[in-house]
Amino acid sequence: MEGPMPHKRRSLAEVVATIPDGSRLALGGNTLHRAPAAAVHEMIRQRKRDLEVVKTAGAYDVDLLCGTGCASIVAAGFVGYETVLGLAPMYRRAVESGVVEAREHACYTVIAGLRAASQGVPFMPLNGLQGSDLVALRGFASVRDPYSDQDIVVVPAIVPDVALIHVQEADADGNARIWGSTFEDTLMARAARRVIVTAERIVDRAVLAAEPERTSIPGFLVEAVIEAPRGAWPTSCAGLYEYDEPFLVELMTVAGDPERLARFVDERILQSGRQAVPAT
Amino acid sequence: MLAPETVAAQMAVVLARLLRDGETVFFGVASPLPMVAALLAKWLHAPGLTILTIAGGVDPSPAALPVSTVDPRLLDGAAALVTLADIFDLAARGRLDTAFLGGVQIDRHGQINMSAIGDPRRPKVRLPGGAGSAALMPTARRTILWRTRHDTRTFVDTLPFVTAAGNVDRVVTPLCVLRRTDGLLDVESVHSFSSPDEVRAATGFTVTATAGTPVTPAPTAEELAALRAIDPGGVVAVELRGR
Repeated sequence: MEGPMPHKRRSLAEVVATIPDGSRLALGGNTLHRAPAAAVHEMIRQRKRDLEVVKTAGAYDVDLLCGTGCASIVAAGFVGYETVLGLAPMYRRAVESGVVEAREHACYTVIAGLRAASQGVPFMPLNGLQGSDLVALRGFASVRDPYSDQDIVVVPAIVPDVALIHVQEADADGNARIWGSTFEDTLMARAARRVIVTAERIVDRAVLAAEPERTSIPGFLVEAVIEAPRGAWPTSCAGLYEYDEPFLVELMTVAGDPERLARFVDERILQSGRQAVPAT
Repeated sequence: MLAPETVAAQMAVVLARLLRDGETVFFGVASPLPMVAALLAKWLHAPGLTILTIAGGVDPSPAALPVSTVDPRLLDGAAALVTLADIFDLAARGRLDTAFLGGVQIDRHGQINMSAIGDPRRPKVRLPGGAGSAALMPTARRTILWRTRHDTRTFVDTLPFVTAAGNVDRVVTPLCVLRRTDGLLDVESVHSFSSPDEVRAATGFTVTATAGTPVTPAPTAEELAALRAIDPGGVVAVELRGR
């Protein structure tokens, strides 16, 4: 028998330092909920560039990576703050000025691409998209079903270099438990080359082992785990806190002005950020 | 001045009345009106409705309605938790009865644009994207569109980009209900606080709305009571009211 494996706990700074510019990043969560915000903030702090961001429906995380010059491609079905705050202003400006390429997907095509990656196949057939201009815009091909001679659209595999996923609980080996909606996180954890988990709290292995069916991301898939209390802030984290609407409203007031935005990001997010915000 | 709450109540009850007992219905991101409508239908005439939410909660009964329709509150009281992928799969195999979808722009065929104004590769205005609509509109048995704005920039003859096309049945707006027959939208009823003239003037394609066009039945006392019970905070009107 080998000795015990060294645990996978790391600091966010050291892990994010290993993510190269130009990486394809899958971000967990959905719109205003359980975004991997602490990891995104560290990406911004380390001035990552040319990132491709993959998500079905994003808001703050995708928007901010566009507003801070980190992203160059956004592959997503939806980017916006829903009815809460509407369109994503930083994403909009970056796409409209040609700085960021919007590779619009249909949510299901992101899922299909991730499924292909998770299964180790080059593409995934999909029932949907009939009549949509997205087929031509994205260049989605069709293939002949060899069994029925019907054509079906196929989506290429989407293999993220890194999946950034925020969860409520994980142990030191990276076994991770998500409370409530898992969104596409568990699929991303199976599609990505590397999986980095931030957790509200690190718990003893025994806590997870008591109910292993709730561990939806097994630690053997996870490269590093970081304790990051309030790590989804300013998005919500089910069972713990809601999205921080006043903060997001403030962000919107500076989002249109690059200088004020840069100062806001520095002072209100990178310096004082999530740790300074009291739990609600 | 017409209160946003009045318009929202009319739209919600119209959307709710279209749902049938025993069917499956889905609503996605940024969908407060469909969320309220589905809960209203289940309360009133469709107790066997199966409500599927983007956050995966099946048949939730939230005590307080969220503005974000991905909110964890939409798991409160849920009978089961599925994934968004499960819901797309359900539609893909022909088992999703009704999808509620929105559209920034809607054309005479009931196709929608959620992607961009101008060249989609270098847009004048980058829109949020169609989310799941391109996958669901052709695969759900029926799509009901809603839009809280009705003007000639929203209802256009030709779309610059077709984000999604498919099985659209009705479009519910602040002015009227449009129904698609033989592939084309036309006015089915005009809300009591609008008029056929207003509807025609606000629509960028030809519709037949005349003095003889039916008036949308106003919300009943029972419907309004149910609406107040389900949504005491007035989330139903958030899209019309702005924030």
